[in-house]
Amino acid sequence: MAVVAVVAAAALAAILWYWPRLAGRGVLPVVARIGALGVLQLSVLGLIFLIVNSSAEFYSSWSDLFGDQSGGGAIVAGQAGTGENAVSSQALAPVTVLAASAVAVPDRPKEAGGQLQTVRLYGQLSGISAAGYVYLPPGYGTRGEAALPVTVVISGDLGSPSNPYSAGALAGAAASQIAAHRLTPMIIVMLPAEVGQHDQGCLNVPGGTQADLFFTQDLPQVIGSAYRATPPATRRWSVVGDSSGGYCALQLAMTSSQTFAVAAVPPGGYTAPPGGAETGGSPQIRAQDDLSWLVKHQPMQPISVLFTGGGTGQPFVTAARPPMHVGQTSLPPGKWQLTRVFDWIGSTLQPPAVRS
Amino acid sequence: MGLMGLTSGFFIGLMIVAALGSVAATVWLWPRFAGQRPAMMASRLGLIAASQVLVLAAVLAFVNGFFAFFGSWSALFGNGGSVPVTVSGAAASSRPIVVTGSDLGPVPGGSALPEDANGRLASKPPHFKGKTTSPSNVAVAPGLDLKGGAVAAARKVGKVLQITVTGSHTGIVSAADYVYLPPQYFQPAYAHVRFPVVLALTGYPNDTWSIVRWLDLPSSAANLVARGKIGPAVYVMMNVSVALPRDTECTNVPEGPQAETFLAQDVPQAVEHTFRVQAGRSGWSVLGYSTGGYCAAKLAMMYPYQFTSAVSLAGYYTALQDSTTGSLYGGSTAFRDENNLDWRLKHLPAPPVSVLVTSSLVGEHDLAGTQAFLRLVHSPMRGYSLLVKQGGHNYRTWVRQLPQSLEWLNQRLTPAIAPSQQAP
Repeated sequence: MAVVAVVAAAALAAILWYWPRLAGRGVLPVVARIGALGVLQLSVLGLIFLIVNSSAEFYSSWSDLFGDQSGGGAIVAGQAGTGENAVSSQALAPVTVLAASAVAVPDRPKEAGGQLQTVRLYGQLSGISAAGYVYLPPGYGTRGEAALPVTVVISGDLGSPSNPYSAGALAGAAASQIAAHRLTPMIIVMLPAEVGQHDQGCLNVPGGTQADLFFTQDLPQVIGSAYRATPPATRRWSVVGDSSGGYCALQLAMTSSQTFAVAAVPPGGYTAPPGGAETGGSPQIRAQDDLSWLVKHQPMQPISVLFTGGGTGQPFVTAARPPMHVGQTSLPPGKWQLTRVFDWIGSTLQPPAVRS
Repeated sequence: MGLMGLTSGFFIGLMIVAALGSVAATVWLWPRFAGQRPAMMASRLGLIAASQVLVLAAVLAFVNGFFAFFGSWSALFGNGGSVPVTVSGAAASSRPIVVTGSDLGPVPGGSALPEDANGRLASKPPHFKGKTTSPSNVAVAPGLDLKGGAVAAARKVGKVLQITVTGSHTGIVSAADYVYLPPQYFQPAYAHVRFPVVLALTGYPNDTWSIVRWLDLPSSAANLVARGKIGPAVYVMMNVSVALPRDTECTNVPEGPQAETFLAQDVPQAVEHTFRVQAGRSGWSVLGYSTGGYCAAKLAMMYPYQFTSAVSLAGYYTALQDSTTGSLYGGSTAFRDENNLDWRLKHLPAPPVSVLVTSSLVGEHDLAGTQAFLRLVHSPMRGYSLLVKQGGHNYRTWVRQLPQSLEWLNQRLTPAIAPSQQAP
């Protein structure tokens, strides 16, 4: 490359210096001029080619450039399975049922309420193992082959029986609605918002809990592997959050509408995840974690969102345009009425697609 | 693409004429500047510089037209509006894939039929006036039907279509991409068969036509199918950069184009809705070269429930950021780490995918990075390597590696089998 650079510089200097000698009339000087310009031009182009090629290594040798190389190699399997991480994560079952109980519906036979399972769910991609509950509607085991829609409820206090929004209360409310034929039979998965160490609103925490990965990619796989659930592509997966899980639920619907087509959350601005996001000091990442920024700046997602409870003025109601739909119900502040939520989900979910 | 399009013959010809003219003018005017005064010296330098620049520009225009680095002026300089951050609801509700061309010249599946599946290829992306709308026999995609003669041709050699993809979630619009439908797609025996899909990604900077013209993907695939080495598949060929001239590295750029979501979710969803293809993991693979190789590995590792396997031809495995990418990670080291495939393998559970990485023992400066990546792969992920003895970072090398790569992919995809072929 250095040689070509020297040649180019020398050619330029020589042309400038000896210019007058080639200034004569006649064929010979004209040919000499063209020749001089040609040498300069070639050396400059050659230099540029060499610089570009050495920076990007397009061609490693002359034979490479002119095509003498031929033939492939052999495909060799890597050493996967022999390293220290060889213990397959598949050793952990995606769903472990720890306990199961019947769900009672007043004035109905025992089997009319369905079943509530206490489970541990393991997500293979995120590595997250989360304790939760799964509600199966009445007749789940005997009903035909139809796959059921799925609602994921995210709440911080599922476990305490005294809580009006405990797993038992949620299952009971759903069972009553299903028994009254106001809600299509569905699988309800109940999980805490805090599946990792800290509540980050189900975001992927770099270097930490990949909660978004767990909810959007692992969960459909986990539920689909153990239950007769419809895949998210049918747009029959919904997500519900209470005051502790609202950001998580709305965040999942707004950034992963491929998985969650329907969301019901309490009203609010949702400007930052609970517990503060890991933005690494980046204003751009902070903006993306602000859901009211998202609704104004990203394309409208094909989702339906219900804001349940008192309070208005959410940026979402004013900003939403089709294909995003926003509804609200005015309930007394702080009250999160399960019946209304399930009513709405039942009426919003897409009917099962008829496949030809 | 008008008369003055970046890759139009007229424009390139004009550049060559201007270059030759400047050289002729220099030779002609030579005697006038033969004095020894400084002003004369400066004039000589000016003349030479002008002719040099014009010749260089002509050479660049020619080389660009030949290799299809940038397909248009907006791809080269940007037009500020190709990737809207906000789109109206109406745009998002239209068809996710629009066929913009079905008459692509002498390629397998083009209109001027080659003698066999390895016919000679057009030298640059053809230009289109519109799509066929006449009454027809076969509906290929919404808005595109094939007529009798075209059906007969497609049944023999398949069809390459030019498409525009609109991302329903990201709002990203990617024009001048291509899809290759194999001959079997049009044959009655396969009328109800869903085909596996290979998503093929370009390098950066590139025009998507390069995958047809230089990587020779449709020809290679057709050839291997004809020889019984692989089964028929649909090849979706996409530009890896969704916002040329910016290099987006298939990353969800904070406050910027959500390229990762577009390629990993919008495109598969659009293709699954438009063509007769399989849905999800067992029917999808992703392949790419250079930047496209990094993206192939990344998309498969991040979306293993969409892609079962990936081929990275001379890819890299760390999160790149340079003058062509601009800020990709919002200034966050942690987010950049998440886009670094080595980091992911060290810090996150390995995804259940298979990745084939290729490189050269001599001539590929990413060899060490490729081998380091391979060493980090652990179960349930599987790593495979294809190393050639020598070969640079160019199509010649990748064309040699392609047939084996396609055979490797074929073993990992659910085949399209016509009912009559199935065992009794």
